[in-house]
Amino acid sequence: MSMSAYYQTRAAHHGVVTSDWLAQSQEAATRAVVTGGQEIVDGGKSGRAFSVIDEFNNWRKQPDLAEAVAAIRALAAVIRNSEAKTMMELEIELKKASDSLKSWDTTSISLTAGCDLFMRYVTRTSALEYEDFNSARSRLIERAEKFGEISYKARKIIAMLSQDFIFDGCTILVHGFSRVVMEVLKMAAQNKKLFRVLCTEGRPDRSGLRLANELAKLDVPVKLLIDSAVAYTMDEVDMVFVGADGVVESGGIINMMGTYQIALVAHSMNKPVYVAAESYKFARLYPLDQKDMGPALRPIDFGVPIPSKVEVETSARDYTPPQYLTLLFTDLGVLTPSVVSDELIQLYL
Amino acid sequence: MSLSQLMLGPNVVLCNAASQTYPSCNTFTHALSFFNKIEGSQATARQTAELLRSVISQQRVPYTNQAGALIDAVKAIGEQLIAANPVELAVGNIVRRVLHIIREEDLSLTTAAIGGLNLSAVSDDENDDDRDGDSTLSAAAVAAAARSTLRPPSLQTLLEDTPVSAAVPQTSSSGAADKSSRSRKLKHDVIEAVNELIQDIVTCHEQIAEQAVEHIHQNEVILTLGSSRTVLEFLFAAKEKKRSFRVFVAEGAPRYQGHLLAKELVARGLQTTLITDSAVFAMISRVNMVIVGAHAVMANGGVIAPVGMNLVALAAQKHAVPFVVLAGSHKLCPLYPHNPEVLLNELRSPSELLDFGEFSDCMDFGSGSGSPLLHVVNPAFDYVPPKLVSLFITDAGGHNPSYMYRLIADYYSADDLVVQRRATAGN
Repeated sequence: MSMSAYYQTRAAHHGVVTSDWLAQSQEAATRAVVTGGQEIVDGGKSGRAFSVIDEFNNWRKQPDLAEAVAAIRALAAVIRNSEAKTMMELEIELKKASDSLKSWDTTSISLTAGCDLFMRYVTRTSALEYEDFNSARSRLIERAEKFGEISYKARKIIAMLSQDFIFDGCTILVHGFSRVVMEVLKMAAQNKKLFRVLCTEGRPDRSGLRLANELAKLDVPVKLLIDSAVAYTMDEVDMVFVGADGVVESGGIINMMGTYQIALVAHSMNKPVYVAAESYKFARLYPLDQKDMGPALRPIDFGVPIPSKVEVETSARDYTPPQYLTLLFTDLGVLTPSVVSDELIQLYL
Repeated sequence: MSLSQLMLGPNVVLCNAASQTYPSCNTFTHALSFFNKIEGSQATARQTAELLRSVISQQRVPYTNQAGALIDAVKAIGEQLIAANPVELAVGNIVRRVLHIIREEDLSLTTAAIGGLNLSAVSDDENDDDRDGDSTLSAAAVAAAARSTLRPPSLQTLLEDTPVSAAVPQTSSSGAADKSSRSRKLKHDVIEAVNELIQDIVTCHEQIAEQAVEHIHQNEVILTLGSSRTVLEFLFAAKEKKRSFRVFVAEGAPRYQGHLLAKELVARGLQTTLITDSAVFAMISRVNMVIVGAHAVMANGGVIAPVGMNLVALAAQKHAVPFVVLAGSHKLCPLYPHNPEVLLNELRSPSELLDFGEFSDCMDFGSGSGSPLLHVVNPAFDYVPPKLVSLFITDAGGHNPSYMYRLIADYYSADDLVVQRRATAGN
């Protein structure tokens, strides 16, 4: 069973894991890195390509850093270590590094989107500017490092935009541990807004427990629910707030398993569903149904041994179509789901 | 405060205060005194635009950063205008349109100036080395960055960060003759553009009415609520083109403006039926299309409309009747409504609902415990969520509610969403 490195990392950062699951995933991760290194056999380049993935993993380990930022930092390291003398050469090297990163973990959408965004930036600016190679290179490195600040600022912008929508006395339902949503709620608490949070457990990671912990530290009234209790409590909810692992071209989102269910229930009871996502999570995907995306599997520990002929649905994520979402809060502003494809077209045209 | 000031309302006090900061603004004082008496977003929009035009023409601009000075001046007046009447969203819309015009005109002048500078710089190599301290900023980069700062933030510009302020010292070092002609040109261009804006506001009804023939066909039954001049012109235009149709008019309590609309329709020879608001659900199944006007259109496609419109929209959805909203582009507001029933609403006097004579003792604060048992709520507006609207017909054509963000990106700049004059001096 192939593991999704992205969801493993998320679980390691935000979930509550049992020790033997952790051991399983560690072993799988090291296996993947070794095979990744052996696949890339380019004379002289293999050392560098290997270090891209290594570099990426180093950045990714930090719990506060977004995936796309880690990817772009890794690509910046490629530029720094490269011996290219022209823009064209540098671009080709970057493309190779970016492809190897993407193929190493095909399930991470922000990784793919971050790589694509950076490649797009490189291609576009090298065509426009008539400056010498070294200054262009140093500017690329500088922009890549600045991207970390941009992503951090993005969370602040999103938090500011969503403040108006949180009113005194409201009840917010959250699902999964999203750092952006955490920032939104933190800012609302700092602005002395009175609100209550209902937090789903988020099996199998149980990331909801971590989130409840963090919110309790902020003195925000929190109530934990098991995932099945969402419909039961939906009528006392005023709005649903979720993050996103990726925002797709249709305006829908890909997020932790359970988001689609919650959005369906909220829609049928006329509750708004708000998504907080940074703009670098926009990806050029258009899933038509749940199975359209590549599988992102994650082992589930049921606590009791399961007979071998019983299958387990181990997908870690689902796709929520745009008609169930009300608004997206991004660092590009407040968007309706139909704006997303417009933004993507502008980027790629 | 004298009695005359009290009668004219808070706007006059405001404008007197404003005229002290802008002593040359006699037209401003005069025009603002009419604001309290103006009804209807078109008239308000037109007055605002004309007022801002006079502010711009009277404003003295310094040699450097003319656009900044103009923007500050417009923001100062705009802040006061919006504060005087926050429910009339057309005022804020026009202020933001004018700000966007100033930024656009400044940008096109800057790129033209840079284009001229580029040509002259090529021939003069020594001066180039002196001037271009930051060699990484080529003229093309600056122009691209300037373009990107005008557009709302997008994925394309996410990684870019070239400062535009570096361009200003570069261009201002060019000759004095250039500077003065540029400053005059900016004001002139802005005033021309504001004139076009006023023209657009004034002719919005005609442009919307032109599209009537595409939407109204033979032997149709159309439902409307209350009275809207846009709807009137729309229906007349269809009648001119020899379409035969009938109109159901819901009277639109408590102001009963539907009565006036019915009269005007009959005067033009249209078969009209007048119904109460409560009868809308009963009649909706016999209707082909609902055509209504709006007070304002929000950025998510939601509509602020006269009270009773939400009823009609819900009934239309239940029976799958298309709900068409006619709105001039001055009604398009770049804000997202987060509590529109309360924040974007106006509570009017209970006298429209109840006669003072008969009910005065129920509503008397003096009797009994001091707080009356009878409360009368008379909201002026209703919020219609975007999922209930089928089509918006604006002077820019017919659009989906989910398309409104495009029109907003065309007409407004992201920096102007909060109209507040910055306290810091300088750029």
